[in-house]
Amino acid sequence: MIKKTFLLLSFFVMVLMITACSGLDRLVSGNSADVPEGATEIVMWNLFAGGDAAYMQEIVDKYNNSQDTYFINNVQQEYEEYYTKLLTSLGAGKGPDIAVSHAHTLPELVNLDVVEKLDSLAEKVGIDWTEYNKNILESTMFDNQHYAIPIDTHPHIFYINNELVGEAGLLNDDGTLKMDKTPSGYRDFFNTLKNELPEGKFPFAFVTAGVDSFRHWWSYYSQLGGEHIVTEDLENPTYVLDTEKAIEAAEYMLKFWYEDKVIPLNLADFYSDFQSGKAATIATGVWSTGTWENTEDLEITAMPLPNIFGEKGAWGGSHTLVIPSYEETDPVKQKGALEFMNYAADEGAIWAKAGHIPAKDTVVESEAFQEMPYREDYAQTADYINFMDRTIYARAINDIMVRNLDLIWTKEVTPEEGFQLVETEVKDLIAD
Amino acid sequence: MNKKAWIQDMKAIPFLLPFLLAYLIFTIFPIFKGLEMSLYDWNLVRKMEFVGLENYVEMVQDPNFWQTLWNTTLFVMLTTPTMVLLALGLSLLANLNTKLKTFFRGSFFIPSILSVAVISFLAIFMLQPYTGLVNTVLQSIGINAEPFWMADKGLAWVSIVVVTLWWSVGFNMILFLTSLQDIPDALYEASEIDGASRWKQFRYITLPQLIPIGRVVILLQILASYKVFAQILLITGGGPGGATRPLIQYIYEIGFTQNNLGYAATMSYALFFILLILSVIQLKNQRMEEK
Repeated sequence: MIKKTFLLLSFFVMVLMITACSGLDRLVSGNSADVPEGATEIVMWNLFAGGDAAYMQEIVDKYNNSQDTYFINNVQQEYEEYYTKLLTSLGAGKGPDIAVSHAHTLPELVNLDVVEKLDSLAEKVGIDWTEYNKNILESTMFDNQHYAIPIDTHPHIFYINNELVGEAGLLNDDGTLKMDKTPSGYRDFFNTLKNELPEGKFPFAFVTAGVDSFRHWWSYYSQLGGEHIVTEDLENPTYVLDTEKAIEAAEYMLKFWYEDKVIPLNLADFYSDFQSGKAATIATGVWSTGTWENTEDLEITAMPLPNIFGEKGAWGGSHTLVIPSYEETDPVKQKGALEFMNYAADEGAIWAKAGHIPAKDTVVESEAFQEMPYREDYAQTADYINFMDRTIYARAINDIMVRNLDLIWTKEVTPEEGFQLVETEVKDLIAD
Repeated sequence: MNKKAWIQDMKAIPFLLPFLLAYLIFTIFPIFKGLEMSLYDWNLVRKMEFVGLENYVEMVQDPNFWQTLWNTTLFVMLTTPTMVLLALGLSLLANLNTKLKTFFRGSFFIPSILSVAVISFLAIFMLQPYTGLVNTVLQSIGINAEPFWMADKGLAWVSIVVVTLWWSVGFNMILFLTSLQDIPDALYEASEIDGASRWKQFRYITLPQLIPIGRVVILLQILASYKVFAQILLITGGGPGGATRPLIQYIYEIGFTQNNLGYAATMSYALFFILLILSVIQLKNQRMEEK
């Protein structure tokens, strides 16, 4: 009995110690870094994970070693709760000096008045805005004012498994695809794969429901000439989805699952299906390029999502860096922050290792970037990405689209009914 | 009150104070803060303007509020009776005087100590199509089908309910078990002398003795089920297409992605009142019967 009690007790003490230690650890790692003497500490919050996080740290380390006036303390935050934490911290005046923000979240931050305008500071630091890609830069500007430094854009693109696609006889000698870039040609490509692939392999790794399907649909909608869901009025947008094109894009996608059956329904992990060589192709974001490259025995080619409907269009997001505003500003920190932000954009070649397309044209044209495989091929996508409509409702509209499109993909509703639901819900959200 | 008893009471205060402070700061204060928020246009960053009952009017007219409230209610209706029956059955099994007694008790209770993230990911691994355990077993016994346990509207509910039962039945089983062990042996002995069968013993001794704890289990289960959120978010994400989205997930989305804490607080208050009313009805009922 005593032995048992003792065992139990020591178990509890152990649990207590483990939890206490990890708690303490978390407290410490969040706030204190070894700031070199004389350097000004600048705290940056990022939302990256995996390869992205490692490459961002590489940029930060390079910057910290390159000078000793400033020290960037790069704090990695949990992606899922990032914006909640950022917004509440800014509300309490306890946020970072630099924050990562997606371009589509900028309208919210600008509207809440929690980020600094960068124009006058940029002049002092000597930022040359013409070095940046115009399409990307525009997604960070409001009322002709700069609010953020974009560091990349990350469109959805198309990857093929060279071996599987080659064996199916769908590769030309120069490595390009034997495919007519038309709606029917694209379907033919997958149907040929389906017939030619060996047992146990399938043509196209893709999800059925979720955010990826929405992004894929958005690419086709854009290629069909669809531009918006709502107008780009920051606070008072109106609903302008081109329902006809929206339905056409959705009906086209439905064929992949239900008519041609080139994508198995409800794949649990479409990344691993492609990575393990079970699927011949995949459509997803450029951020996966680094992952595929680092996978043994996987030979891939990355290319823009085929433009099959006439116009060029793709879904894409953009990571940007912003300077949060506080009641009491510290000009020294702000200057250092902006200097680092521009530096990070200049180091786009490091960032591109993860797969992203650098935001600076000067970086895209640089030798370091051009030497990297595939990037150059898909970097052109940056010019025609159709960014999400810039309103304070962008994140909420994203959720509404994903949820209602899921009803279409799972055949709960027809595309007509689905977009009717979208219209009702979005109009309700924006009080249109 | 005499002096001695008063001093005795005073002695308790230092022991109560630490908890009371935490309770005031983290429970009582937010209750009133939430009420204030529900009357304002309030975002994640700051308080905006006073809007009176506008948020409440919006709530009544919001189809998503009613849809998610119905989803939560459906979950309550599905889990409460099944939970009570399952917990009762398992507690009877765990109360049997066999060599496996400890094994039963342990294995029924162990899932309860796992965190919601762990049980959700276990569920996803087992339920996923093509490679999941459940479908593989089904196919190995000759059922040639590929059910989508998480993507099909009806099956998604089945999955969520079964996973929740498996996860949380242990605690309710313990409640029943303690009550079972409180039933005096004399009752069984006396009935045995009178020649009662096992079934009659169960029907006329065990069940009536379990009614009070049964009530507690039902009340706790209803309250807990109305607050369902994490396992649904993790397993189906509220999908397919919002078919399993519970009210709390909607409140969370409104508050944190739509940046509208005022309206989120309003809906939280609605849920609070639903739970309050249910609790009061249940307690009233109990008192009436006790009288």
